[in-house]
Amino acid sequence: MERRHHSQSHSQRQQGRNHFSSSSSNQSRSNNRFSFPKSSSSSSSANDVRDRRRETQEEKQEEAIVGTCPFMCPEAERLQRQRLRDLAVFERLHGDPRNSSPALAVKKFCRTMSAKEVRASDVRPLPVLEETLNYLLSLLDSTEHPFEVIHDFVFDRTRSVRQDLIMQNIVNDKAINMFEKIVKFHVISHHKLRSSCSSSSISPLHYLNLEQLTKALTSLYNLYEANWSSKPIHEKEAEFRSFYVLLHLDSNGQPVGESLSLWFRHVPSPIIKSKEMWFARQALRYFQMGNYRRFLSTVAAEASYLQYCIIEPYIDEVRSLALCCIHNCYYKLHPYPLGHLSKVLMMEESDVELFCNAYGLQTCIDELGNKLLPTKQTTFCRPKGGLQNYSFLGFQQLGRQIEL
Amino acid sequence: MKVFGVLAGKGSKRVGALYLTCQLFKIYFKLGTVHLCRSVIRSIETARIFDFEEFPKRDKVTYMYYTGRLEVFNENFPAADQKLSYALINCNPQSEANIRMILKYLIPVKLSIGILPKDWLLEKYNLVEYSNIVQALRRGDLRLLRHALEEHEDQFLRSGVYLVLEKLELQVYQRLFKKIYIIQKQKDPSKAHQMKLDVIVKALKWLEMDMDVDEVECIVAILIHKNLVKGYFAHKSKVVVLSKQDPFPKLNGKPVNS
Repeated sequence: MERRHHSQSHSQRQQGRNHFSSSSSNQSRSNNRFSFPKSSSSSSSANDVRDRRRETQEEKQEEAIVGTCPFMCPEAERLQRQRLRDLAVFERLHGDPRNSSPALAVKKFCRTMSAKEVRASDVRPLPVLEETLNYLLSLLDSTEHPFEVIHDFVFDRTRSVRQDLIMQNIVNDKAINMFEKIVKFHVISHHKLRSSCSSSSISPLHYLNLEQLTKALTSLYNLYEANWSSKPIHEKEAEFRSFYVLLHLDSNGQPVGESLSLWFRHVPSPIIKSKEMWFARQALRYFQMGNYRRFLSTVAAEASYLQYCIIEPYIDEVRSLALCCIHNCYYKLHPYPLGHLSKVLMMEESDVELFCNAYGLQTCIDELGNKLLPTKQTTFCRPKGGLQNYSFLGFQQLGRQIEL
Repeated sequence: MKVFGVLAGKGSKRVGALYLTCQLFKIYFKLGTVHLCRSVIRSIETARIFDFEEFPKRDKVTYMYYTGRLEVFNENFPAADQKLSYALINCNPQSEANIRMILKYLIPVKLSIGILPKDWLLEKYNLVEYSNIVQALRRGDLRLLRHALEEHEDQFLRSGVYLVLEKLELQVYQRLFKKIYIIQKQKDPSKAHQMKLDVIVKALKWLEMDMDVDEVECIVAILIHKNLVKGYFAHKSKVVVLSKQDPFPKLNGKPVNS
C-alpha cells in the first residue's frame, strides 16, 4: 500500500514530475503519528491533510501541484502588496514602502482557504524555494535591524516556503535539507528571543516560534521516515531527533504532542544508539532524577550549540533546584562557599552572588575573605521577575555563530 | 466514529459502545496513532448516557487495560495503578496471556510506588526481564539496575516502560544508603546516624559506579530534598547526619515526589 502525501491542490494542466516517496509503508513506522497539537488556527490545511491516509479511487488520480513561479514572490502578489504598501522593511527598494523588486520581495505566508484556488503560478518550484531559503537565512547576519524584526520576517517567509514544499509533495533529500535549515533557524531564534525578553512571561514571539519549531520538526521527522527505504540514515537525523527529547524534558509540564515513552517506541535503533541521542537521554535522566551536578556538567561538556539552545531554559530550572537543595538540606552552621557553588552551578562567581540575591538570599564573607552562602535563610523565595542571563562555564567555545 | 454515534443513541445497543471503544483502542495502538484515543475516551467518560457499570465485564477490563497503559505513558502513576489493578482483579484467571499483558505494565507502576512483586509472579507469567530490576531494588544494587536496563533496553523502549524504570534509580540509592546505615548500626549504634560521604563514595566505587565526590554530594542532597532520606548534610565535615527517627521513609504507595 503506497503511502501518499495527499495534497488537496491539484492542477489540471501540470503533469510534471512528482516525487512520490518510495515509502516504507510496510512497517507501521511510516505513519504520521507525531501530532503536536493542532493549536489549530495556525496549522495550514496542507499539514492537516498529511495526517490522513485515505486511499479512494479519485485520490489516486490526483497529483500534487507543480509550481511554476520563477520568483521568490509571485508577481501578482508583489504588485498587489506594492499597491497596498504592504511591504516589509527588507522588501523595500531603497526604503520606498511602495516599491519592491523581484530580488527583494518574498512570498508571504497565507492560509489557503481552499486548495482549488491555488494556482501553479503562485507556487514556487524546488530550485526557486532553495534560493529563497538561502536568501532569507542570509538576512540573519544583518546588523542593520533589531533581531526581532529580522526574525519576524524570516519566520513568516520560511513558513510560506514550508507550505510550498508540502503543497507540491516534495519529500526528497533536498526537502530534508531545507527543513533542517528551517528548524535550525527556529532553534537559534528560540535562544535569541529568550535572551531579549526580560519578563518571566514568555513573549508571544517566543511562543509562536516554539510552535512553528515543533511543526517544522514534525514535518522533518515525517520526511526522514518517508525516505527511509532510499536512504536510511541522514547525516544530521540523530541530532534533529534529539531535539524532540530535549523539548520534552519536563514531563510534568503540559504534554505537547506525544509523550516521550510513546515517541521512543518508534525511533529507529541506530538513532537511539547515536551520540546525540545518547546525550539527550542522559540529559533527560539527570533532569528527571534531579542530578543537577551531572546535568550541568554533561550539558557543558557534550551539548552541541543547537542542543544547548533548546535545553537552555532547563538550565536555569536545574540551577534553581540545586540552590533549593543546597539551601534546604545543608547544615545551618556550615555556610557554603560561593567558589564551590560556582562550580556546581557552572556559573561565574560574580553571577552566583546575583543569582542568590534573586532568590532572596544574602551572602557573607569569612575571615579569610572567602564569600559564603549561609543556608536555611528564612528569606528564601522564588524570584518574582524572570531571571537574567547568567554565564555558563565551559561553554564559551560554542558561542560561535553556526552556519545555516 | 459514526457507529459510535449510533450506539450512543439507541438504548439497547448502547452496551456495545465499550466493545467498540476497545476495538478502536486496539487499532490506534497498532497504527501508532495513540493520540486519537483521547477523543474516544472523552466520549465514554463524559457522556452521561453511558453508565460504566452497565457494560460487560470483559469490555471493562479491556478498557481499563488500555486507558491504564495510556496513564503509564503519561506517567500518572496513581491513575495507572488504579486502572491496571482493576483490570487485573477483574480479569479472567484462566486467561494467562491477558494477565501477563496487564502485569507487563502494572509491575513498573507498582515498582514506582515502592511495591515489589514476588519472584514466583515474575516466573509464572514469564516476565523475567523485570527480575534483575526487582533484585536491584531489593539490594540497593545500582550496577545491577543499570545493567538490567541496558540488557533489555530495546524491549523496554518498545513497550514504553523504559523511562519509568529508569526513574527507579533514586529508590535504589535510598536502599543502598539504608544498607550502609544498617551495617553501621550493627558496628556502633551510637554513631550510626552519621554517615561519612567517604563511606558512600567507597560503596559506589565498589559497585563500579564512576562518581566523584561532588556528584555523590548532589545525590545526597536530592534524596534529602525528595524526602527519601531524612536528615541534613554538613558540608565542611562531609557527613550526612540522619534523623534519629525513620531516616529512610517508605514511599507508602506514592511515587517519589518531584
